Amino acid sequence: MLGTLSYSKQKTIIIVSFLLIPLLLLATFTYYPALKLIYYSFTNWDGYSPEKPWVGLDNYREVFSNPDIFKVFIHNFAYFVMGIVQNVVAIYFAVVLNSKLRGRNGFRIMLFLPYIMNGVAVAFMFGYVFDTTNGSLNLFLDSIGLHHLAQTSWLGTEGLVNYSLASTGFWRFMGYNMVIYIASLQAIPRDIYEAAKIDGAGSFQTLWRVTLPNMKAVIQLNLFLTVTGALEVFDLPFVLTKGGPAGASQTYVQRVVETAFAYNNYGLASAMSIILLFFVVIVLLVQQLVLNRGGDK
Amino acid sequence: MRNKLFSLCFVIIMIFSLSLTGCGSNNNNNAASATDKPAATTDTEGTGGNASATTEPAAASGTDISGKITFLTNRTDMIGKEYDEYVKRFNEKYPNIKVEFEASQTDYNQQAKVRMASGELPDVMFVPSIPNSDLPKYFASLDDLGLNDKITFKDFKSYEGKLYGITTGNSTSGIVYNKKAFADAGITEVPKTWDEFLAACEKLKAKGIVPLASNFKDKWPLNDWVFAVPRIIENKADFPNDKLNTDTPFTMDNGYGKSFSLLRELNEKGYLEKDINSTNWEQSKKDIAAGKFAMYFLGNWVINQVVGAGTTSDNVGFFPLPYDNSGKLTAPLSPDFFYAVAKDSKNVDAAKAFVKWMIEESGYEDFAGFISPLKGKESKLPQLKEFQATGVTLQEGTPDDPKVTEITNKAQLDIPAMLQEFVLAKDPQTVFDKWNKAWAKAKKDLGY
Repeated sequence: MLGTLSYSKQKTIIIVSFLLIPLLLLATFTYYPALKLIYYSFTNWDGYSPEKPWVGLDNYREVFSNPDIFKVFIHNFAYFVMGIVQNVVAIYFAVVLNSKLRGRNGFRIMLFLPYIMNGVAVAFMFGYVFDTTNGSLNLFLDSIGLHHLAQTSWLGTEGLVNYSLASTGFWRFMGYNMVIYIASLQAIPRDIYEAAKIDGAGSFQTLWRVTLPNMKAVIQLNLFLTVTGALEVFDLPFVLTKGGPAGASQTYVQRVVETAFAYNNYGLASAMSIILLFFVVIVLLVQQLVLNRGGDK
Repeated sequence: MRNKLFSLCFVIIMIFSLSLTGCGSNNNNNAASATDKPAATTDTEGTGGNASATTEPAAASGTDISGKITFLTNRTDMIGKEYDEYVKRFNEKYPNIKVEFEASQTDYNQQAKVRMASGELPDVMFVPSIPNSDLPKYFASLDDLGLNDKITFKDFKSYEGKLYGITTGNSTSGIVYNKKAFADAGITEVPKTWDEFLAACEKLKAKGIVPLASNFKDKWPLNDWVFAVPRIIENKADFPNDKLNTDTPFTMDNGYGKSFSLLRELNEKGYLEKDINSTNWEQSKKDIAAGKFAMYFLGNWVINQVVGAGTTSDNVGFFPLPYDNSGKLTAPLSPDFFYAVAKDSKNVDAAKAFVKWMIEESGYEDFAGFISPLKGKESKLPQLKEFQATGVTLQEGTPDDPKVTEITNKAQLDIPAMLQEFVLAKDPQTVFDKWNKAWAKAKKDLGY
């Protein structure tokens, strides 16, 4: 029945029919809710009643007039710092595990495994690690003789709690970054290394002058993932500390969730989400600007 | 060849879409017939016999009511166990009602609200935290169950004189303690004043036993310090709603300040867990059972859980918190979740019959460790008897004023979280000042 159509028409039909379902799913589960979110941000909907009173820009005004809301971004800074460390370590492991090392596949799997685990399960597990009196971390520190350090309240000290939480994220996502780095390392042509070797480059020079510049695009991608991850962290503090002690580990997304579900203010929460979206975009633009200063490669 | 391939693709797509739509309509048919049927049977019975059968399900005999109902429950642990046994007994009386249980997610309230927004409510459920004025929008009136004179907290989930929710069970709060730990520390009599209580804590601490497990980190175990103790200190059931009339609801010398200071004092004297920011609820139950921790200040529902965590019932005692030195004891009586029947349920009568049965005959309150929702029904739990023997006055709470709730939400005030701040702060007055300011602003913005 299609025999009479021209080749290009047939091509269009095939492309459309194959794309239709994924696009439909994308539209239903991503774009439609996103549009709804924008709409809710202009209302003061309480989350369940049929009326959604329109309030214009009031929600946005409220967010920007309340300095408390933005203060929580300071807590996200710890995740950002840990994210940078995480990327450095991931590159290190990628380079090591990309060389001819005995059992490297085993190591790769071991480092990647935490990423597969469910986030809440990980958080729950680390609850036992960080426990002050019975936690495995403090018991370990005590057994190697660091009695004073073994008294540390990892999740109960204001300056420390975010770093404790972020280190869990480090453990979980390092392997994921590493796998991406390994893939990009394998894409670097061998002959560049050969040429470098002939020119007499040492291993550090090779890393600095050949490997890293060739990985620039992927490093950017990973930094993007790290930065957005740091801005949007939620599950770890939600499960482990509930934002405590006294709000010291509350993150922005957690605050959004509370605003919506505990204080019944979906409108304000939607506005906060939209603002976070713009925040991520701005941070990314700045990152692009800084990293691309030297011209495109 | 290629053309054939294309047409084949198309045929396959067509077949798939046809079969998919086929499935859909089949489902619809099934659903329709399943829901139509019971309605039809009740109709014929209604016209054949008693016309008022639909308005008075309680009066009708069990076999008259039929249908399938779903109960969204938070007690996921009872599904497949106690609930099966309940249904068996229930079906002896109402053989034609099929009851199904749906396990809620961890946050019942949140899940229920999402379902309300989508209009897909289960037939029987618990009332989530919504203003009472919204109750008629979602739930059916329960006045026809004939329970109005018998139940406690009748006005709690009522609106304009109609009853929409009945408590599943009531609790009081007090000190749940390990008797052996008390005996080991040389405490022979339960404390009746705050000073005696502190002395008991000191003895326990000297024995290396953590006196009171606060579970501070998890926040919800602090709820009684926030919602119950202030009103019993003030001796005024309606005290939480007094907030509506002031710009400074939190002061050091009112119920909130006094109650919060008690917990702060316990923490300063080292009578709580070693690190209150690192507590573990599940572990604490085992530790209380084992006598490593001595006390909880929680609702009586926790008694059965402590027993379940590995001790015998006669090792667990329960007494009212002596919040001051007057020797006069008052304890709060608070309702737990409230049963409600969805207004749009296909089988309202069956759902109502189930609610009535759960309240009167299931014995759920004894299983869950509650005081019966029915007035004057004595508990079978020895701890509750011990509690009552202290001569304590039980103070029934009042429903929250929706305006107070509105201001609280507007100010983004989470009082248990404020208590955490209060206990941890260097100067607790600053915490009160901060939230009083937020309260006054929210109150002004809302025009109350």
